[in-house]
Amino acid sequence: MSDPILSLRGLRKSFGPADIIRGIDLDLGAHERHALIGPNGAGKSTVFHLVSGNLKPTAGSIVFDGRRIDGKAPQDINRLGLSRSFQITNIFPKLTVFENIRLAVMRTHGLQYCLWRFVDRNVRLREQTEQLLARVRLEGRAHAIAGEMSYSEQRSLEIAMTLAADPKLILLDEPMAGMSKEETAYTSELIREVTLGRALLIVEHDMEVVFSLSDRISVLVYGQVIASGTPEEIRGNAAVKEAYLGEEVAA
Amino acid sequence: MIPRFLLLAAAVALLAALPFLLPQGLVNAAIQMLIAALFASAYNLLCGQAGMLSFGHAAYFGVGAFATVHAMNALGGAGLLPTPLMPLAGAIAGLGFGAVAGWFATQRTGTYFAMITLAIAELLHALAPHLKGLFGGEAGISSMRMPSLGLGFGSTTQVYYLTLAWVLASLGLLFLFTRTPVGRLTLGLRENSHRLRFLGYDVHRLGVLVFSISAMFSGVAGGLQVVSNEAANYVLFDPGLSAAVVLNTYIGGVKVFLGPVLGASLMTFFGYAVSDLTRSWLLYQGVVFVLVMLFMPAGLAGLFTAAGALARRCGALALAQVLILGFAGALLVGAGGALLVEILQRLFSQDYRALAGAAATLPPVQLLGRSWQPAALATWMVPAALAGVGAGLLYAARRRRSTLEARSEQAAAAAWVPAGTRSAA
Repeated sequence: MSDPILSLRGLRKSFGPADIIRGIDLDLGAHERHALIGPNGAGKSTVFHLVSGNLKPTAGSIVFDGRRIDGKAPQDINRLGLSRSFQITNIFPKLTVFENIRLAVMRTHGLQYCLWRFVDRNVRLREQTEQLLARVRLEGRAHAIAGEMSYSEQRSLEIAMTLAADPKLILLDEPMAGMSKEETAYTSELIREVTLGRALLIVEHDMEVVFSLSDRISVLVYGQVIASGTPEEIRGNAAVKEAYLGEEVAA
Repeated sequence: MIPRFLLLAAAVALLAALPFLLPQGLVNAAIQMLIAALFASAYNLLCGQAGMLSFGHAAYFGVGAFATVHAMNALGGAGLLPTPLMPLAGAIAGLGFGAVAGWFATQRTGTYFAMITLAIAELLHALAPHLKGLFGGEAGISSMRMPSLGLGFGSTTQVYYLTLAWVLASLGLLFLFTRTPVGRLTLGLRENSHRLRFLGYDVHRLGVLVFSISAMFSGVAGGLQVVSNEAANYVLFDPGLSAAVVLNTYIGGVKVFLGPVLGASLMTFFGYAVSDLTRSWLLYQGVVFVLVMLFMPAGLAGLFTAAGALARRCGALALAQVLILGFAGALLVGAGGALLVEILQRLFSQDYRALAGAAATLPPVQLLGRSWQPAALATWMVPAALAGVGAGLLYAARRRRSTLEARSEQAAAAAWVPAGTRSAA
């Protein structure tokens, strides 16, 4: 593998006496789609929180694109090119869908402190926002209030917001939760498309999606990676079957 | 529908014509209303748009006021700036102090944020009487408006126009702010600051920026107050002023840009009109606030929104019915409540108690040119009847509205035919 875009070394996180992440080593190639699977409470979301700056690791290092990012603030990590979605939908509920995405797109335009231009006049900003809307099939819902949409539409919005800043690495935390079969298929294809030339770290419970989308899979159990490899290797791994997949995959 | 800019132009024309239409005393009241309106709008930028509830906004109003009074007295009384530009001193001081205070306050959110703003305002309120040089001690600092640009600024009318120009310009800027990228981010700050961080925004810096801008326009309002009163005193830092701006803003409605303007000017006007007639103004202010929060959480501006929606759905005639019932009801309930409060206030006054102690039977209360016997049932029946009839009318207005809405919904449902069944029908 060429230089990894993300590498975790000896990553640990404890909350008081509870050790949640107990030493994780993980490398992610620059164009790799990597899925993190494991039973509930294995620490998948915690890994996301550590990598994205929501939590500070107790020990170990996180290197993203050649830079140490463990302990940095979320906005600084995001500006380096790492974007994430949330397991529990995290949007601006009382603003319109258009406004939600525009807020996300605006960051790359360097408008955070802009007080002398009107936001509606910025054609490029509007076009990019509209493109993203179309991408996640929400163009008809542009003026709907985000919090009043169906759950799966909100999940799509969340993905659009994550894509807005053109990141090098995307972290998606259960993006398909609550979606119908058709929506899952569309979103899976969308993720495949938009992660071309980027790296992806995804947590997802839909095994069909995980095995078809990922280049590699890591299995997390009780805060440790018990196996890491291609979908075929994981499918054939006896320890994984026992710990997590059960008969579901063997069948 | 009348275009919005026409309405706006009419309102501005009316405001410009006011000094010719009103007696001097009311022009003075109008100046106070304008200043309160600007202060409430500046406050609403922080409270309504950014979702940060400050309990100490008098601090920035007061700092702006003192900066302006010092600017007026600078250079041996000649003034640092020409009189029409004096509020600029308030703006700069408000911005500067707001940036410092905001840097601390926006480290936290929610209740903790509110407590920090309260503490900062209390700090100033407690310190000010002791800092004679800066705040003039308990007596405060007075000043004189200097003639400038060929204008004397001696008359109330000229002060009115100066205030009007500043308030309109400031409100215009505050409105344009909502259209800028930072203005949109301000809404994001209110809705979900956590998500903003994961989109790469520095939430703290953004918070300080919004806080400072709000403090700057509060400072302008304070400066205008000083230009009008030619004096500033540590009472400007009073918690009562911080509370008044919160009440005015919420009574007007935080969701609509002009809501706080409406709330602040109405409440200031009532305060002016009623303070000569009653000693219970603060009680009325509190009752109005509680009632608005209970029955119209969107504020008075929300009333307009609801009226507009009703007119669109059910027609102007239906709206007029509901409005007449509602207004008559509110008026009667208000009259009954006020009558009750005024009789009680007089009964519990010290004068009356002294009088009652000396007399064998309870003496009557004088109110509205009539004698009211405290022991007579009729005395209490009048306010009770007023309030009762009023409450009945309000109830009727409410029912009328819900039946009208139900009917229009039924009509809409009947008009809607599913696409597949239309050909068969």
